[in-house]
Amino acid sequence: MKYSYYPGCAQHGTAVDYRMSVEAVMSRLGIELEEIKNWNCCGALHVDDRSTRVALSARTLAATKGLDVATPCNLCYSNLMRANTALEDSDLKNRVNGALVIKYEGNAKPKHLLEVVVKDLGLAKLVEQVKKPLKIKAVPYYGCLLTRPENKFDSPENPGSLDNLISTLGAEPVKYYYKTKCCGGPILITNENLALELAKDLLVMAKDSGADCMVVTCPMCHLQLDAKQKAVEAKFNIKIDMPIIYFTQLIGLAMGIAPAELGLDKHLVPTDKFISKAGR
Amino acid sequence: MQKETIIPESRDNAFRDLIIKMPGGENLLTCMQCGTCAGSCPVSHEMDYTPRQIVRMIQLGLKKEVLNSNTIWICTTCFSCSVRCPRGIYPTELMETLKPIAMKEGIRNKNAKFDTVFADVVKKNGRASEFLLFSKYSISEPGMIKQAPFGISLITKGKLPLSVAKMDDTRELEAIFKLGEENDGMETEK
Repeated sequence: MKYSYYPGCAQHGTAVDYRMSVEAVMSRLGIELEEIKNWNCCGALHVDDRSTRVALSARTLAATKGLDVATPCNLCYSNLMRANTALEDSDLKNRVNGALVIKYEGNAKPKHLLEVVVKDLGLAKLVEQVKKPLKIKAVPYYGCLLTRPENKFDSPENPGSLDNLISTLGAEPVKYYYKTKCCGGPILITNENLALELAKDLLVMAKDSGADCMVVTCPMCHLQLDAKQKAVEAKFNIKIDMPIIYFTQLIGLAMGIAPAELGLDKHLVPTDKFISKAGR
Repeated sequence: MQKETIIPESRDNAFRDLIIKMPGGENLLTCMQCGTCAGSCPVSHEMDYTPRQIVRMIQLGLKKEVLNSNTIWICTTCFSCSVRCPRGIYPTELMETLKPIAMKEGIRNKNAKFDTVFADVVKKNGRASEFLLFSKYSISEPGMIKQAPFGISLITKGKLPLSVAKMDDTRELEAIFKLGEENDGMETEK
C-alpha cells in the first residue's frame, strides 16, 4: 500500500508527537507514505481569498503522481476535499492552472490517515497487529473537518470509524454526545475566551463519561484539548487531567511500541498514568 | 431595546445580487428561516446576528449590518450548519465569502489581522510556521503577551521550533497569491 503523503505544517511544529507516532506505526503496518517534495501549506482556515486557497490545495493534488494522497490533518484533508469540489468549475480550474507549474487534473483522491487505516488497510488486518489489547475506555472524538463538509468514508452526523478502531484495539469507546462538536481550535488565538468555553464543554463531558483518554485525529484539536487544557482548568476552576491521544499513538500502544517512540512524553497533559493503566 | 425599522434607504439590492452569485450564496434566496443553522451553531450565542439572521439580512440587502457583524469572524468553520441546511445553503462558505468583502470595506479586527498575518507567512515561506505566526501576530496584538507562558510550555516540549519552516523553492507562491490580487481580494462570480 503506497500513498503520496501530505503531512501539513503542524507535523513539524506543535504536532511533533503525532509525526513520531505516524512514522512508528504506518511503516510497521505496511503503509508506505511518500512525502510530496516541496509541499506547501493548505492555507488552513486563514487564507481568506478563495482562489488562492483552492490553488494551494490544487498544487498539492497535482503533485501526487497518480497515487491517492494521505494526510494526518483534518484541516488539510477538508481543504483538499473542498478544492477537488471547487475545481469542478472549469473557469476556476483554468485560472488556478494558470498559476501552477504542474497542472491540476482532478484525479487525485485525498484520504485522511484514519480512512487509510480503517478502510484501505481494514480493521481485520489491523487486529492481527494487536499484541496486547488495551483495557481502557476512550472517547472517540472526530472533530469537525474530518467528516464535514464532505468525506468519502463516514457519517458527518454520527461517525463510527474511530469507535470501531478503538474497539479493534481492545479498548472501549464510550458513548460521547459531542463526538463531532467543535473544540474551538480555529479561534484559539483570536477569541480565547470562547475557544476555552468550547474546549471546556468537551473535556467535562469526556471526564463525566469515565474515559481514560480522548482520542483525536487532528493536530488542531490536540493543541486545543491537550496544550490548552491547563488554561481551561484555570479559567473554570476545575480539574480535568484528561490525556489527549492521537489515534496513531493508540494503535502504536496496542502494537507494543514504546511510548517514547510514539511521542507520548511530549504532551502537556501527562500521559504516564494512562500508559500504565493501558498496561504498558 | 427597540429594534430599528428597516427603511428602503438601508437596503442595497446590488449587495444581495452579488452575494447570491458567490460561493455559499447560490441557494440563499430559498431560505425559509427554519433556524437549523443557528441551532446547530456552537457559537451563535456570541454572535451579533445568528447565521439564520445573516441569511435573511442578505436577502434584504442589509450590506452595512452584515459586513459589520461579528458573525463572520466568530464562525469557527465547523460546517455543522452546512451539512444540515434543508435548502442546501452552506452558511460556512457564506461566511468565508463575506470575509474578504468585509476586509475590502475596511473592517479590521483581531481575526482579520490574524488572517492577514497567516496569509503573509504562507506567501513568503510556503509553510505556516507556528512560531513565526504567533510572534508576527503579537506585534499587532499586544494582548498576546498573556500567551507567553503557553508558548514557553510548547517550547520546552520541543513543539514550537524557533527556526522558520520554509519550502525549498517558493517561486510558485507568487503566482498563486496573485490570484487573489487579480480580483482585488474578491471572489469572482460563478
